[in-house]
Amino acid sequence: MSKHMKVTKKVQIALGFTVAGLLLGACGSSSESTESTDAAIVSDCPAADIVDAATAEAKVNLIALPDTWANYKGILQSFRDKYAAIENPVANPDASSADELTAVETLAGQPDMPDAVDVSPAFAQEFDTKGLWEPYQPCLWDEIPTTLKDPDGKWVAAYYGLMAIGVNTTVVTEVPTSFAELTDAKYKGLVALNGDPRESGAAFAAVMAAAIANGGSFDDILPGIQYFADLKKSGNLSGSDVTPASVISGETPLVLDWTYNYPGLAPTLAENGVTFEVKVPTDGIYGGFYAQGVVKNSPHQNASKLWISHLISDEGALGYIEGGAIPARFDALVASGKVTPEMMKNLPDPALTANITFPSADQVAKAKEVLAAQWGPMVSGN
Amino acid sequence: MIRRNFWSKVILVIVAAFYVLPMIAMARFSFQRVPVIKLGWSTLGKNWTADSLIDAVTSERFLQAGWLSIRLALLSVVLSLVILIPTTVYVHVMKKSARSYVEFLSILPYVVPPIALVVGISGAMKVLGTWFLASPFSLVPFYVIISLPFTFRSLDTSLGAIDLKTLVEASRSLGASWMRTTRMVILPNLKVGIINASFLSFATVLGEFTIASLLLKFTLPAYLAESQGSNPQGTFSVGLLLLVVSSLMFALMNRLSKRKGHALTGLTL
Amino acid sequence: MNLTVRSERDSLAERVPFGVFKHMRSWVVLAPFTLFVAVFLLWPTFSVFRSALQPVEGSSKPAMLEAISGQYLDAILYSVRLSALTAGLGAVIGTLVAVSAVSLNQFKGLRNVLVGYSAVAANLGGIPLAFAFVASLGMQGLYTKLLSVIGINLSDLGFKISDFSGIVIVYLYFQIPLMTLVMLPAVDGLKVTLKEAAASVGATPRQYWRSIGIPLLSPSLLGGFLLLFANAFSAYATAYALSAGGSNLVSVQIRFYLQGNTITGKSNLGYALAAWMIVVMVLAMSGYLGLRRRSERWRK
Repeated sequence: MSKHMKVTKKVQIALGFTVAGLLLGACGSSSESTESTDAAIVSDCPAADIVDAATAEAKVNLIALPDTWANYKGILQSFRDKYAAIENPVANPDASSADELTAVETLAGQPDMPDAVDVSPAFAQEFDTKGLWEPYQPCLWDEIPTTLKDPDGKWVAAYYGLMAIGVNTTVVTEVPTSFAELTDAKYKGLVALNGDPRESGAAFAAVMAAAIANGGSFDDILPGIQYFADLKKSGNLSGSDVTPASVISGETPLVLDWTYNYPGLAPTLAENGVTFEVKVPTDGIYGGFYAQGVVKNSPHQNASKLWISHLISDEGALGYIEGGAIPARFDALVASGKVTPEMMKNLPDPALTANITFPSADQVAKAKEVLAAQWGPMVSGN
Repeated sequence: MIRRNFWSKVILVIVAAFYVLPMIAMARFSFQRVPVIKLGWSTLGKNWTADSLIDAVTSERFLQAGWLSIRLALLSVVLSLVILIPTTVYVHVMKKSARSYVEFLSILPYVVPPIALVVGISGAMKVLGTWFLASPFSLVPFYVIISLPFTFRSLDTSLGAIDLKTLVEASRSLGASWMRTTRMVILPNLKVGIINASFLSFATVLGEFTIASLLLKFTLPAYLAESQGSNPQGTFSVGLLLLVVSSLMFALMNRLSKRKGHALTGLTL
Repeated sequence: MNLTVRSERDSLAERVPFGVFKHMRSWVVLAPFTLFVAVFLLWPTFSVFRSALQPVEGSSKPAMLEAISGQYLDAILYSVRLSALTAGLGAVIGTLVAVSAVSLNQFKGLRNVLVGYSAVAANLGGIPLAFAFVASLGMQGLYTKLLSVIGINLSDLGFKISDFSGIVIVYLYFQIPLMTLVMLPAVDGLKVTLKEAAASVGATPRQYWRSIGIPLLSPSLLGGFLLLFANAFSAYATAYALSAGGSNLVSVQIRFYLQGNTITGKSNLGYALAAWMIVVMVLAMSGYLGLRRRSERWRK
């Protein structure tokens, strides 16, 4: 199965490059003027006055950005490399979106109030309702697909990922590739959700993906809840919490999590002699994004805007790609040839993400209601 | 008697095993980079390394968090003592009837679980002014509160061990000044209580996570939670190290406070 | 010391230095303490109840009523069951350890180690403790593997560290030492002379314990049980780290509504659950105070 996918990927990339090459060749005569125009656009972005104002502020307060999540470690570093005078400390990297909201409210007016946040779509909505977003459209805004940004510029989804099964192949030798396969008795006690879906965005997404795999849809999450109820009854669902320690020790060898949460673990896994594979389930393809934006009335408005620009920029996008997340401007980057096949090794098959859609805010809200009411009695209730 | 001793020893051995075995398993995970599934006679001696521990202990974040936690612990101890010593001395020496009132207040923190306290704090403190919550030392009063049952108990027990009121009266009636009485009668009896209260308070603060994480303060437990992601083996080995060091410290403290049979256990209820 | 009891008028309060305390009412001296507790404990508690009594967004009844029904009631009862069970088991085993510790009196060093480790273990919890047990008895646990080598397969026996029985075992890790710490001074206080006296009039060890030992220990036993109950009931970090949410416990569920990533707009429900936790603790506390008063009479 994996070999087949590799071949398809290679073919796709080869095609992409061929097309790009042909296009560039066709523009050969006017290449010089195109190049200089491109260079002009790039150097204007972000605008010099924002950069200067941000440098004067010298700091951007960040929160809830774990090093191993979508390669934020690399992205934070690339920001520091580019803008050496601006500090970007991250408070409470393991904070949840609700913690971020609490921090913004509790620290309002204080020097360490978060300047920019990275929250789940549900909370992007909360921030909006509470008037906490400062609308800002970084340059290159037009290159971002409409599904990945707020129409009024309040937030942008700089990256998204797919729900995938992470397989510790040292413990599990037969790699499952679909939700249906996970119900097999040979995986007893091995399938783990990353948290409780009533609280964890990744677990919520896993339930939605399972819903899609079992006849449900964005409007109907119940089949997903039923799937996990059955999984628990058959004993396949592990009760253990998914943490890097549990992944390394093999306690949770089949993890349901975002594609961008796996690459960060790779070094430690290798040190411990653990081999790992990531499979997007064939029967339930579900994508999810997180929203980033500037917080209203925060202490460092310009540095915050610069940070958001950085996330959208090429450096940010390449950072996300390395972390296994698909950046918002992915199509534009591929078209301009900035992404090599080597870089894409952590990304899911582009064929899967080509026509990805995301549930609307209403669909998510409705699904959460059903989840809050039914998950307890159906799945975790003893 | 011999039979009693035998069963005593059996119980102690079983409980000791229960305490130690999980820690051994955690230590093995932290120091040996071999997953359990691959463990066998051949791999038993392989890949043991203290690198994760060294990385964790020398990291900037650990030192930063540790330093904050130590400062918070010291301040909490000082504040607890400043508030409680006059109060407990007063109720033991002057007005015994007020003691039940103070005792009641001191067990109130049991009634409010930390998670409930935490959710109340953000609501309540917004009124007080966000400047308060912004400072890392805003944790101190809450830490004093959550260690209140133990700190009060320690001071109360040590003062209550003898009839302090009578002793003080005797001292006064024999012509000693207040200063002298305080120094020679009240303080020696307080000493053990102060030591106990300080250690218990210190331990509580170093281990508290809920309130610190809500208020976004970077304390030692917050560091452990954070580094769990990037260096799980290092995190657990630091945990073990702290465990061993604190046990030894407590054991030592217990030995030192052995006057008048007052053990570490200011937990008499 | 047998000094004559002075009358209230001659009491110490009359002869204080610099006349400081003389004219102060006791409430003035106790004011700082009272104020401190009021601001940092009572006020946040009041704030919890205030939010809890408001309706959950989108409904008309107060959140507290909703929080006592259906799955939430189940969660509260589950937490109470777990706390009572671990408190009971912890109390019994902890007391046994305290009583057994007497036999360590010759080995002062060992006894100090026991006390030292108990003090630390009593405060242990959360991620490290949960992981230590996962590393021991989880699917890939060290001892799970050792047991399977000698033929005992925990998974086949239906044991999972994240189930109820697993959580109980993990909780006992801090409950037992806590009880030990409570009981050690009480057990020490049981003078050996009483035991010998009882023996000399022909009482069996069982009779001694029943008529003298246990009654004398009862305030500490009760207090210890309450302490353990409070400890287990408030704990959440350990269960949370152990089982994908430890999700049946009230303390963990509060997180879903107040500190999560998915559910929004139900914060009053979270406050209501916190409020009910406080109510349960108040009931437990009153029960304890009532029983203690009775047992104190018994002791006399």
